[in-house]
Amino acid sequence: MKKTILIPTDFTIQSLNILKTFLNQNPNNHYNIVLVHGLNIGDSIRDLLFFSKNKQIQELANEAFIEAFEVIKNKFDSQINSLKIDFFTGSNQAAFNNFIEGYQINQIINSNYQLTFSTRKSFDFTRYFNKAKVEITTIEITNHVNIPEKGNLAEVFFNQISVG
Amino acid sequence: MITTLKKQSRTVLLLLIPFLIVIFLFSIFIYFSVSNYSEKNFFKLLEARAYKVAKERLDEKITKSDPNSPEKLPHEKDFFIPIDNTLDIKEQVQKIGIPASFFELVINNKSAEFVSKKYLYKGIRYQSTSGDYIVITAAENYFQINQADNLIRTLLFAILASLILILYIALYFSKNIFKPISEITEQVKEISSENLHLRLNDSNRSDELNDLARTFNNMLDRIETSFETQNNFISNASHELRTPLTAIIGVADVVLTKPRTNEEYVETLKIILQEADKLDNKTKALLFLAQTGFNGKVQKFDKVRIDQLLWDVKENLESLNPKSKIYLDMDLLPENPMKLKVNGNTQLLHLALSNIISNGCKYSNFEMVTVSIGASDDFVYIVIKDNGIGIPENEIKYIYDPFFRATNTKNFEGYGIGLPLTRNIIRMHKGTLLVTSIENKGTTVQITLPIWQINKD
Repeated sequence: MKKTILIPTDFTIQSLNILKTFLNQNPNNHYNIVLVHGLNIGDSIRDLLFFSKNKQIQELANEAFIEAFEVIKNKFDSQINSLKIDFFTGSNQAAFNNFIEGYQINQIINSNYQLTFSTRKSFDFTRYFNKAKVEITTIEITNHVNIPEKGNLAEVFFNQISVG
Repeated sequence: MITTLKKQSRTVLLLLIPFLIVIFLFSIFIYFSVSNYSEKNFFKLLEARAYKVAKERLDEKITKSDPNSPEKLPHEKDFFIPIDNTLDIKEQVQKIGIPASFFELVINNKSAEFVSKKYLYKGIRYQSTSGDYIVITAAENYFQINQADNLIRTLLFAILASLILILYIALYFSKNIFKPISEITEQVKEISSENLHLRLNDSNRSDELNDLARTFNNMLDRIETSFETQNNFISNASHELRTPLTAIIGVADVVLTKPRTNEEYVETLKIILQEADKLDNKTKALLFLAQTGFNGKVQKFDKVRIDQLLWDVKENLESLNPKSKIYLDMDLLPENPMKLKVNGNTQLLHLALSNIISNGCKYSNFEMVTVSIGASDDFVYIVIKDNGIGIPENEIKYIYDPFFRATNTKNFEGYGIGLPLTRNIIRMHKGTLLVTSIENKGTTVQITLPIWQINKD
């Protein structure tokens, strides 16, 4: 059975390492993957009217992230049934439960990685995870600080448990 | 000074000439439309007058003074010519001084107009009780005599006044428009190869001239860097080439001072051979650098599988120097092998990659060097990471200068040609080379090569 999994992302390459580590650990399954970013889009009617998911992704994700995203997609081609990015825009537990139901998510992947946000509109929605009625898996990723390739695409190649 | 004056007067002329043409055409148009209008009006008046006098004279009806009927015009002349057998047009033509066609027009069309220098003539065919008559009313051309001169004078005065005004404006403009340009010219003239550090003043205004100054400054930046690179290159190259030569000359000199034993000669020749080899290597590397940097030469490009190439490089380097430890990380290898193929020259790419990887081995004292491959839909990425001495932060911008060697590389052998050569090769393959480093922590080199595409020529 194909599983749908949710992974929180903050559009840094480090957060992609959660996905990479998870896929490395579970090599024989097929997954529909949703990378979710918590975003407060506000109440303004005009903003809601002109809200575009693609434009928002372009605004938040830098080139290195997109490249790393594609590299991972190519690497795990047979494991990934679909891979997309979406925003969670709700502000309470019920909204999050709805979101999970809507996507028919079977598993949430959490990690020890602390999401960092570049805009004030983004928020950390991992606090809703515990009360959601789905399986939660926590992954440990090592967190190198001050490596030369910080912020570059190269980051996705290292910074992981399997090197050595 | 003369050139600026010329420039200014040219702008003034450029502004003046179109303006003059426009205002002249305007004046002519006004003049003719006014004169045409007043003539038409006058002919209407004459026609009305002709009917009136004809009624009075020929029908002998004294109309009551109608407020609408026109009074006698200044210098008015009326002619009544009966249309019968005695009508002699030639005589009338001489008498009144109007052409014969006028009479024919009146007879046939019942009305005609004629303009002479001083008079306007209106002729009508009038049917009176005593037969048909040609009635001609003539009056002085009122407009031509009284108003035309005035109109022309007014127009000429307006042209003159506006000419002075526009001249003033044009002078003001030309002065102010060209001031910054001539300033820039002056400043640029001051900059020569001796003082390339000079820059043009640019304010924060965002207009075209400021853009121009900024563009000039950017160009100067690039010129300055390339000048510096060239200067460095020459001094570095001559230094590098001289070092082995000095050694050869010195050793030979010392040996020749007195007779030596055979063993000593052999040893000396060995040293000389060694130094000559070094010299040979350096010139070879230089030659290669020049060849790859030269765009005119066509290299043969083929499909190259990057992972295969990397295995070759690894094998090759490990056989050359058994101390090298190279780990090929295939973790992110794409599942589709088509995405690992690039369009390139195997020998050149081999050279570039072994340059980078052997640098990694060398500067990390033969610690593990990790080489990873990955691919997106358009690019192949090769990442080479070592934990060596790194590159000092303020020197990273010079790493592509030929013969440049970072200050912390004193204990390592090298000429400083490898990286510029590699960059030339990567550039030939339309790829990019990105070097990031932290001193004493390590260096990461990221090579991006465009993927081989089927429908490419």
